[in-house]
Amino acid sequence: MSDSGNFEGFLGQVGDTLGSAHINTSDDTLTRYGENTLPGGDRRPAAVIYPGSTDEVAQVVKAANAHKVPLYPVSTGNNIGLGSRAASREGMVVLDLGRRMNRILEVDEKMGYAAVEPGVSFQMLADELKRRGGQWMISVTSGPPEGGMIGNAMDKGAGYGPLFDHFGFSCGMEVVLGNGEVLRTGDGSIDRPGDQPGDDGLVNWHVSKYAFGPILDGLFAQSNYGVVTRLGVWFLPRPPAIRSFHFAFPDDADLEEVIELCRPLKMSNFVPTLFRVANDLYAIGSEQPSPAYAASNGTRSISDDERKDLQRAHGLGSWNVSGAFYGPSMEAMEPQIQRMVSHFGASGKATYIPHEEALEKPSLACAISSISGEPTTTELGLLKWRPGGGNAWFTPGTPMDGKVANQFQEIGRKIYEDNGLDYTVMNVCGPRFARGLHVIGFNREDPDENARAARTYEQLAETFFDHGIGVGRAPLDWHDFHLAKTMPAFRDTVQAIKGALDPNGILAPGRYGID
Amino acid sequence: MQTAFTDAQLRVPEIADARKILTDCVHYGFCTSVCPTYVLLRDELDAPRGRIDLIRDMLEAGGAPTPRTVGYIDRCLSCNSCMSTCAAKVDYMHLADIARAYIEDNYHRPIFDRLFRWLLARTVPDVRRFRRAIRLARLARPLAGLLPGRLKTLLTLAPGALPPTSDAVMPGVYPADGTATRRVLLLTGCVQQALAPRLNHATLRLLTRHGCDVVVPAGVTCCGAFTLHMGKEAQAKASARATIDVWTQQLDAAEASGAPIDAVVVNASGCGTTVKDYGRIFAHETETAEQAARIANLALDVTELLANVGLRPPDDVVPLEIAYHDACSLQHAQKITQPPRDLLREAGFTVRDVPEGHFCCGSAGAYNMLQPKIARDLGQRKAAHIDSTGAAALAAGNLGCLTQLALYTGLPTLHTVELLDWATGGPLPDGLKGMDLPAPVSRQAAASPAPASEGVW
Repeated sequence: MSDSGNFEGFLGQVGDTLGSAHINTSDDTLTRYGENTLPGGDRRPAAVIYPGSTDEVAQVVKAANAHKVPLYPVSTGNNIGLGSRAASREGMVVLDLGRRMNRILEVDEKMGYAAVEPGVSFQMLADELKRRGGQWMISVTSGPPEGGMIGNAMDKGAGYGPLFDHFGFSCGMEVVLGNGEVLRTGDGSIDRPGDQPGDDGLVNWHVSKYAFGPILDGLFAQSNYGVVTRLGVWFLPRPPAIRSFHFAFPDDADLEEVIELCRPLKMSNFVPTLFRVANDLYAIGSEQPSPAYAASNGTRSISDDERKDLQRAHGLGSWNVSGAFYGPSMEAMEPQIQRMVSHFGASGKATYIPHEEALEKPSLACAISSISGEPTTTELGLLKWRPGGGNAWFTPGTPMDGKVANQFQEIGRKIYEDNGLDYTVMNVCGPRFARGLHVIGFNREDPDENARAARTYEQLAETFFDHGIGVGRAPLDWHDFHLAKTMPAFRDTVQAIKGALDPNGILAPGRYGID
Repeated sequence: MQTAFTDAQLRVPEIADARKILTDCVHYGFCTSVCPTYVLLRDELDAPRGRIDLIRDMLEAGGAPTPRTVGYIDRCLSCNSCMSTCAAKVDYMHLADIARAYIEDNYHRPIFDRLFRWLLARTVPDVRRFRRAIRLARLARPLAGLLPGRLKTLLTLAPGALPPTSDAVMPGVYPADGTATRRVLLLTGCVQQALAPRLNHATLRLLTRHGCDVVVPAGVTCCGAFTLHMGKEAQAKASARATIDVWTQQLDAAEASGAPIDAVVVNASGCGTTVKDYGRIFAHETETAEQAARIANLALDVTELLANVGLRPPDDVVPLEIAYHDACSLQHAQKITQPPRDLLREAGFTVRDVPEGHFCCGSAGAYNMLQPKIARDLGQRKAAHIDSTGAAALAAGNLGCLTQLALYTGLPTLHTVELLDWATGGPLPDGLKGMDLPAPVSRQAAASPAPASEGVW
């Protein structure tokens, strides 16, 4: 990406500032930072730098501007299925914020928030709150416990409880812009002489989202305009009891009924959590590898009969619904549970799986952990469904309309099967919209399967686009693809902002398709 | 992961085993951030993913490994935290065992390192030698400041006082109180018999109180775990084989008498992990494989057995706050996390989880003697987390962890069985003597959750 003269000059300047111990150009390191799970191959960086503070990030960004060396910031690098910690293009310099900037800067147990650096993982903050007595809980993903909270929020990641929207329930940022300037958003922008981040003076920084002027925070979600080095994240008081409920539906087409049943419960917020509506392979794939893979060496999809066998063996259905109530005791929530049993049981197709029974089924226990703010590794088992470590996530969505959701199921399932892959989906349902987490698992070491995975993603993306549907998050391989599907004015606008905040195109060029 | 072993190499069973494990690794890298040495040292090769690459290169190349490779493998704790988080289910535990044994057979360590390891392997698993060594260490303690790192650490780790030899649990049959519902073999161990026989006595009382006839056979000392962890496979297997022989005789005799053995009970989780792994360890040795698998299938941690039997707590309990530390061998290797907590809660204790619970305390078999600096850093880090819980005492299911953590936490360190024994009618554990204990309350009151201070539910 950069010529060697500039690159050496850049490393020299950064070494003078940070110390050479915080620059890594070893072969082992560069190889591993380029690894990812996507079909497009690895992307080896030119160097890895470990800044220790916002000021050091700013100095690195200024040096990169001076020498025209592109930087690629990562937090903890656990963005699995979307690019891991690989840069958008080969030859960039990875700015690994997670290694040294992993401090929980502030915990306010009265207001229920923490201010964290990019290296703070879900596990770290959950541990810290546990250490403080366990009266608060965070929203967690069902992905890697060591995933970074800032990285996840900035990529519009989500959990499953009332504070599921990790960007939405963050508040107040500190950002190093592409030009090296440091910005505080919201009420953090108040500029009194001597104010520093974390000062008591900025009392509203992490509690109020709507300060004077434009809401700049959104600029830094899924963009490459700045490096977020501090973020306020909100907590939820941990309830004395969490009681989950689960229903298994036997047929693929039952998705229509499931969506119709979930919508009113979320519209009224009678159920405080989102609904996890996982298909058979999403649930079972976290517990075991595909029993059908070896027979065809991965060339065909698992058959309906094989799926039915798996459903029977695991006591699950074609679709599996999970939600939970928060309350003062398990017993006190019995009336709500009975409402759910009669609501979902009305058609006679649902099999009720009580909380205690669900704890014995790893895929449902994982749902309970996620809803309870407890990071868990169970769902990472999905990555082992097929051998070879390939994994890409396609994340479209559907309105909470059963017929529409079912139509998209039929389209998606056919594309997977046409390419000999296994339809693996969880719909995460709110009142009006469900995000469809489509897992494309494949053998990355098999060139044919690798190509089929890429084809599956592109056919899914094209077909859903034809139906007016885009994606929430995207694997690195297809950032350009997705930006090209937006209207010219959108592309011109995001590019214009890039030019204003990062005129030399130093930060993550190509990420989200923005150069 | 692709490998390039030759056909000749793959005819060696251990290499074939290693290849199978290596091919499972797809370099996701989830293992790195949960690896204690990576978190402390931040070197890719000091993480499982890096070590797996090094092991592959070492085994493929054959011959003597480089000192650099050996250094990275030596720094691995074998805590197996990586295995709990690995999405590809890479069997790192056995890959590390194979690598350590390979190094032991093919690498000529510097003289001091070689002697030090020889001394440890010859002394620690032998109760008499170990006790003699501890006495010597206590005498030499005033000189500790003059000694280099590892020797200094040895003197630091030696306990201030040794229990009398007569305290060791003697071989015999310890009958159940009342009607026996189970008959079990108990591993009393080597280090535990030398340093803390009280744990074996507490286990005996607890098991017999809960309807178990407990058999402690003569001729069983070391299960092989300590030397296996050091890569001394031949010595480990010799110890394990001797243990298997004795236990097999007991199993056969019990079956012949019509009162078969229901379980082999282990109260040191590091040992339990090895005993449960006997089937795998002897898989390639036809004369021992069947017996080894038979023992492994019967092996249970003492908390697993008690969870099956059902604890019989009294009506009134002492609601002491206990920080429960998950020994790596229990949580990552044996996947036992809930039974000890459930039992402690049933016994009336308030159980506090320790933050960063997936991390090793630095004990790890011989690790705190071989890698004292990393072990100290981990011990201090873990102790700070333990102290932060505000608990009155610490519980764990492994003597190694308790010994290590006693160096760094101010809390009394107790084995889970000591607390369960006390709660169900046994004596007050030594570690709690002199403490101001909470007044007994009814078990129902102890079990009621504390009201949340935030939120309205």
